Amino acid sequence: MTSEVLGRPGEKVVLLGNEAIARGAVEAGIGVAAAYPGTPSSEVPMVLASVADEVGFYFEYSTNEKVAFETAAGAAWCGVRAITAMKHFGLNVASDSVLPVVYTGVRSGLVVMVADDPSGWSSAQSEQDTRYYARLARMPMIEPSNPQECLDYTKLAFDISEEFEIPVFLRTTTKVSHSIGTVELGEIREPKTRGEFRKDPGRFYSIRPRLQELHGRVDDKLGRIEEKYGQRLNQVYPGEGNIGIIALGVGFEYCREGLLQLGLTTPIAKIGMTHPMSEEFITGFIEDKEAVLILEELEPIIEDFVKQVAKDVNPKLVVHGKDMLPRSGEYNLETILPVLGEVFGKKPEVDFKAHERQVREAERGLPPRKPVLCPGCPHRSTFYAVKEVFGDRAVYAGDIGCYILGIFEPIEMQDFVISMGASAGLAHGITRVSDQDVVVFMGDSTFFHSGLPPLVNYSFNAKRSPLVVVMDNAITAMTGHQPHPGSGFTGMGEKVKPVKIEDVIKGFGAKVRVVGAFNQRKLIEALEELREIEGPRVLVARGECRLLTRRRLKSKGIPIVKYVIDADQWKVHEDLEEIAEQFACPAFMQGEESGYYIDLDLCWGCGVCKQIFPVGVVEALRREAL
Amino acid sequence: MKFDVMLTGVGGEGVLTSGVVIARAANLEGHYVRGVQLHGLAQRGGVIPTFVRFGSEDEIHSPGIMQANADLILAFEPLEAVRACYYARKEKTIFVISDHRYIPVYSSILDIPYPKLGEITRRVIPFSKKVSVFSAHRLAKEKLGNMILGTTVLIGAATGMEALPLEEDNVRKAIETTVPGELEKNLEAFELGLKLGRSE
Ligand SMILES: Cc1ncc(C[n+]2csc(CCOP(=O)(O)OP(=O)(O)O)c2C)c(N)n1
Ligand code: SF4
Ligand code: SF4
Repeated sequence: MTSEVLGRPGEKVVLLGNEAIARGAVEAGIGVAAAYPGTPSSEVPMVLASVADEVGFYFEYSTNEKVAFETAAGAAWCGVRAITAMKHFGLNVASDSVLPVVYTGVRSGLVVMVADDPSGWSSAQSEQDTRYYARLARMPMIEPSNPQECLDYTKLAFDISEEFEIPVFLRTTTKVSHSIGTVELGEIREPKTRGEFRKDPGRFYSIRPRLQELHGRVDDKLGRIEEKYGQRLNQVYPGEGNIGIIALGVGFEYCREGLLQLGLTTPIAKIGMTHPMSEEFITGFIEDKEAVLILEELEPIIEDFVKQVAKDVNPKLVVHGKDMLPRSGEYNLETILPVLGEVFGKKPEVDFKAHERQVREAERGLPPRKPVLCPGCPHRSTFYAVKEVFGDRAVYAGDIGCYILGIFEPIEMQDFVISMGASAGLAHGITRVSDQDVVVFMGDSTFFHSGLPPLVNYSFNAKRSPLVVVMDNAITAMTGHQPHPGSGFTGMGEKVKPVKIEDVIKGFGAKVRVVGAFNQRKLIEALEELREIEGPRVLVARGECRLLTRRRLKSKGIPIVKYVIDADQWKVHEDLEEIAEQFACPAFMQGEESGYYIDLDLCWGCGVCKQIFPVGVVEALRREAL
Repeated sequence: MKFDVMLTGVGGEGVLTSGVVIARAANLEGHYVRGVQLHGLAQRGGVIPTFVRFGSEDEIHSPGIMQANADLILAFEPLEAVRACYYARKEKTIFVISDHRYIPVYSSILDIPYPKLGEITRRVIPFSKKVSVFSAHRLAKEKLGNMILGTTVLIGAATGMEALPLEEDNVRKAIETTVPGELEKNLEAFELGLKLGRSE
């Protein structure tokens, strides 16, 4: 997909919103890009990583979003344009540095791309509306609606940032980041990659008495940005009638198409800059209206602003928004069309509710399809061994990574999931007040991202501490296989010495065992040994993400060894079904009569099933047979 | 003009790439393109619907297709064809389905049997103008030794039967820019599909 990102100026290509943002950053001449992955923002750094060498800028996957932001900001202080991209939760992590950098300002363009995820397509934690951060940080925020705007706004964000020496948010939502659209490419500006930190006493810290002065300066900048860009980034699409619609992001796209479908020519005010909001722009739009409908996903931020402005300029204005549309979940044409219909007294062509009832009827009794761990996933093996040793009674502290799928049956070993690294911190709190066995599951990327502070805290404060299992699959798998400090290579593909998790933990004074994640016997032995220890103890369950193993073998033309079930042996033993259902490798298929067979197309040859069934039930196929 | 395609199947089985192929072919044809590619849990056996919309720039804005409004549904997995009915309706929608079953683990965990193919088409018919089922994946496995090429076979079939209103040559070119690594086999798969589709 990335081949099109470096297309010629003037060329029309189809890009994903995130790809268009990456292209925009390249066109803007960035010298540095740094990020920690998080869907729905992940393709921005993925694309930047893939073109960094060719275009000639520096790219890195940092250990977390805060470090990534600081990396980008440091470069921008030296006069080099820089971008960082993150998902909404990433901003929670980065925010401690983002807020003060708004005060100190930057010398070159600094853009913080942040993607919200209404409906939580790839986010389990909350439906936070990041637009509040723009208000909290007093930082400008602009919001594209489609891939073309993703490209254009990214460049514009750099211009605004540089002109006013303030970092700028480029905010998207899932359906902006993950939508595709025709994009016309622009000129690529030669990247400036070298700069210099010029000392400027009083500029790069905000300690008293500078604090208030800098704060005031931010106000001044926002005022000037509103003045200059309020009319340019916000736009009125004229139409008929005295009811108007105010929309932003992908909601604007739904609005236009919805009006088209209902044959309406209603005026629309498109908001491209959600902070600072332009009072002048809103006034101009609502002054002569009887009513407005505000289409904004998540929180009623614009709605509240409009109500505030209306008090002065048009007190009789009827403001519709969250009274007709939900606060939770993303919108689509089906949510918006009936609302438009209601406001304008028009009926959509299809009765959505009746149609949906028919669909539900047609779907009745079908087996559900939920995401599951891949066949041969090391996490499945680790979960299985831990359950062998700790059963159903232990408290299982969950975290964020592929292993979050361990929430679902039959694994059910993620009793809570809160935020990256929170498994260990919460487990510590539980252990302080309860004698229950607590097992922490944490991925390797999560370990480096935010697992270190709670684990050092064990060494500091916990004579009796939870048992920690680091599920080390050598990569950040869930978000698309990005490297981390333990992977042995950087975001630009350079080989580096991997940081070993066991070395880090030894430095904390904890007891460590490192075991292959595909070896059931060794896993169980190590777990039994660590179970008897009270103090800080960590099992590093090490096994490469099977998807990567498979890709690697495939690219080298090496066939994966497949496993088969001996149907006769299966009949000899009892209760094997139960093992198969408990282990739940997706390659296991229920046979027509009784028993299971392994679908050879799906088996990724980890060999763990051979270990958990009685000897002789599962055997490896010889390579020649493949 | 506006044409709405939905592609559905199981994560990691080439749905995303097929969406890119169709989007690029439409772009080559000079259409304005819009759509959704939900990235995220792609590798882990979940369902991932992909939307591609093409036509004239002033008719297409939303990235997603509206409920009951798909013109074409390409289902790379039969069970998912049923779940795609949300986007389908009798007057409008053509279904092109590969009969290759990808049985979800929850079928055995929850003891819910996977329905027979006849049962699946019976459920889809009320939502479709036409249903065409092909053994795309089996053919790919038999003739090209790689089941996953079934997705390209199915795109070929949809093109051959003109359920996908795009020039064969543009689809070919789109395959060339999208899957350069396994180009030859993909092009062969596309030809196989075209033949299937033309005789439909
Ligand atoms: C603060 C924050 N940043 C990023 C994410 C996105 N995210 C979800 S899972 C994950 C990967 C975790 O990797 P790892 O712990 O190694 O587990 P794996 O997926 O490899 O099993 C990331 C980065 C998030 N949820 N929160
Ligand atoms: S991507 Fe890797 S870590 Fe994630 S489920 Fe698949 S094999 Fe496991
Ligand atoms: S069938 Fe067995 S060897 Fe194959 S992937 Fe599943 S557990 Fe591993």
